[in-house]
Amino acid sequence: MNRLRPKASRWLLGSISGLLGIFLYAPILVVIVFSFNTARHGTGWHGFTWHWYQALWHNPVALAAARNTLILGVVSTLLATFLGTMLGLGLHRAPFPGRAFFSWAILVPVVVPDIVMAVALLLFFALVRGWLGLFALGLGTMIAAHVTFQIPFVALVVRARLAGLDPALHEAARDLGASPAQAFWRITFPLLWPGIMAGAMLAFTLSLDDFVVSFFTAGPGSGTLPILIYSSVKRGITPDINALSSLLVLASLLATVALVLLERNEATLSNRTANA
Amino acid sequence: MHARDPRQASLRAALLSAPGLLWVTLFLLLPLVLIVGTSFLSRGDYGQLERPFTLENYQRFAGFGSLGFDPLYPLIIARSLLLGAATTGLCVLAGLPLAFFVAGLPRRLKTPALTLVVIPLWTNLLIRTYAWQILLAPEGWLTRCATALGLLTPGQSLYPGTLAVCVGMVCDFLPFLVLPLYASVEKIEWTLAEAARDLGAGGWATFRHALLPQIRPGLMAGGILTFIPATGQFVVPDLLGGAKTVLLGNVIQQQFGQSHDWPFGSAVAVLSMTVVLAGLWLYARSATQQGEGLFP
Amino acid sequence: MKKTFSVLLLVLAVVLPAPAAHFKLNLFIWSEYIDPGIVSEFEKLYDCKVNLDYFEDEDTMMSKLEAGGAAQYDIVVPPDHCVPAMIKLKLLMPLRHENIKNLRNLEDRFQNPPWDPGNRYTVAYQWGTTGLYVRKTNDQVLPETWGLIFDPKLQPGSFLLLDSMRDMISAALRYLGFDPNSTNPAELKKGRDLLLATKQRAFGFEGGVGGKNKVLDKTVVAAVAYNGDAARGMKEDPATCFILPREGAQMWVDNLAILAHAPNRFVGEKFLDFLLRPDISARLATFNRYATPNKAALRLIKSEDLRNPAIYPPPEVVKTLRFTQDLGRKTRLYDEIWTQVKAK
Repeated sequence: MNRLRPKASRWLLGSISGLLGIFLYAPILVVIVFSFNTARHGTGWHGFTWHWYQALWHNPVALAAARNTLILGVVSTLLATFLGTMLGLGLHRAPFPGRAFFSWAILVPVVVPDIVMAVALLLFFALVRGWLGLFALGLGTMIAAHVTFQIPFVALVVRARLAGLDPALHEAARDLGASPAQAFWRITFPLLWPGIMAGAMLAFTLSLDDFVVSFFTAGPGSGTLPILIYSSVKRGITPDINALSSLLVLASLLATVALVLLERNEATLSNRTANA
Repeated sequence: MHARDPRQASLRAALLSAPGLLWVTLFLLLPLVLIVGTSFLSRGDYGQLERPFTLENYQRFAGFGSLGFDPLYPLIIARSLLLGAATTGLCVLAGLPLAFFVAGLPRRLKTPALTLVVIPLWTNLLIRTYAWQILLAPEGWLTRCATALGLLTPGQSLYPGTLAVCVGMVCDFLPFLVLPLYASVEKIEWTLAEAARDLGAGGWATFRHALLPQIRPGLMAGGILTFIPATGQFVVPDLLGGAKTVLLGNVIQQQFGQSHDWPFGSAVAVLSMTVVLAGLWLYARSATQQGEGLFP
Repeated sequence: MKKTFSVLLLVLAVVLPAPAAHFKLNLFIWSEYIDPGIVSEFEKLYDCKVNLDYFEDEDTMMSKLEAGGAAQYDIVVPPDHCVPAMIKLKLLMPLRHENIKNLRNLEDRFQNPPWDPGNRYTVAYQWGTTGLYVRKTNDQVLPETWGLIFDPKLQPGSFLLLDSMRDMISAALRYLGFDPNSTNPAELKKGRDLLLATKQRAFGFEGGVGGKNKVLDKTVVAAVAYNGDAARGMKEDPATCFILPREGAQMWVDNLAILAHAPNRFVGEKFLDFLLRPDISARLATFNRYATPNKAALRLIKSEDLRNPAIYPPPEVVKTLRFTQDLGRKTRLYDEIWTQVKAK
């Protein structure tokens, strides 16, 4: 391969990639830099300050939003990982009537615009509320909504991981006298575990970053950080929002790094991204 | 190989999948069906859902509203598709060099490089989008540079507008496209290209005939993953497009938000979904025709 | 992974315990529209926790209430023209006047208003007008007309339109010389065309507060805004000014109302009573820089505010103001026009 590419084209590719890198990271850096800006309005730099971060700590709305985001993320991830893993296992195991249909159906949240899903849920909750009085908009409905779009991702990741496992191992365990349950828990599950974890991290990040679905299914007092950021942006960007966003970026960064470290020892990155 | 009762295995598989499938049916498929149903309802005086079933919402979408003919919504569909295509095209142009560059890195640098590409993807889209408001602000550096270079008349600004929306979309979707593309690029058989070169082919011809067919699955997967969500985007046009770039996603948001016209909004959502599913179906057909799996 | 989970659990344990208060009150209100000091004083007085949820425009407020918010909020702050619709939709709970003794503090014109005879469901909160909030250069003399945005020749620079259906359409209608509550399709179409042409030159649509802030941070030169937001902006930056167009603007009255399925009705009524205290009303108006409907509070307001035409327009200007009326069924026409204006 190296024979084919003279140094010049490597440099060209490298500089283009560098520029693209700057392009991709510019927004994130701008937000972080401006979170330390003393000026309340405008884009001029007026001096360095920790003030906005301190102000966040005393801002009950921001703290409530952070609490909601965390609760929402953790609960929905736990639920979705549980349901999604079982789904991935079931779809992989053996054919059953409807399997083909459902394999396609669960791809829907992956491709359909999230706003369509969001308004569909809004409508569904409203109608059920009218008939049964359930589903008042709030943290509960948001959790239900998040789980709904998380399950397919977890199922896909788990299924991809299962497809990559050597079936001979499970067979060998059975041959040696293990029951199906033993073979599963002792052999398959430990091998599957990193895949489940990867699915869980993916689900958590999706929940953390979600705005559109949360926006339409939130009730009073259950706003999340992205919703808070959106309303604040609509009112005019202020540095405390930049501070909040920077913290959220940091959280996403940590989650991503954790995800990558998880996958490092597993099947090649290309395999996973291809099937996710 | 144990002789296991396939019916038993089938039952077990179905039972395992059942909770997840029930959830998905209840909270995903059923609501989508309800949306389709609502698209045929009427809107009461103050926004209530009312019985007379009607095709009025679809008529309105086709342009036949209560104030006379107006090809507004077909234009919006066209604009959404165009923007989606433009975003995908730009992402492909940007993604190819990036993918090739990372593929050419020494092994130990590949994962860190890919991680660097992935990190913005997992950062909140909202944050990255409003950051472009800051970057492209009328008083900001980029606008001043562009005016100085004569690309803008003074008084105009980069934001809001279609260009700002494009920038925001490309920034958002580029990693989406790079990842599957990279997956294909990584697996390239360079011997084919070397052979082409040996036979005297020029750079572009080599690329077109030796490399392009090999990365087609990655391009297709990435393209679809970019094009389909791009047409339904609402946040980026909302924050960066100002009043001028309204896409399908914004119309839906408007109808379920300010205007409180759920039947009409549902009709728009149904049509949005149809566009998406049609695109997916075409992709699936072309992929199976080529004899490939759905993903590289 | 176990480590991550335990870290998460630890964070949860720290973050979760919220202070337990005796009562709760959920308030659904325009953004930047209440002094946080007033809220905390009420919280201390009645040992309760007040949750504030904001909206930027009345259309979104109505939409959210109709979509189910009516059972989750206690108090909402709708403008006058929304009240008849809300009453018809049975979204509001009648007020028990014995719990709101301070109602008598309201000026006579706000007791028994046309949109809510007898104050059965609402009490006035603040009143004000629409208008233009503009940043001007030192010597600039700006004509007092809607033409600043509607006439390309008079445009002072980039501007924002108000993201409020009735306020924006009525401004266009007033500029064209029509009645701001017109239901004549021909007139409405002309208004729509004017708005569409204006939109081409506009920076975008923004809520009142957002528009004010964007003028302040110099993103735009002018914005259609509400007078109180403008007055606050002028205090922060004297290089800006508020213009009430001579063709006439809308006068609106925002009201406090309790929602039909409010979980905390009594505390809600106490909150209304609290807000109608002269000292609290005065404090609110001074913070918001809007006009207070509370006659007992007027003597507690600084005379410079009372003389500020941006807050208390003089009588000859008040004559040009019109209320936005509830049009019932005909609102459909406005909805259609507004959707076209926003979408094209």
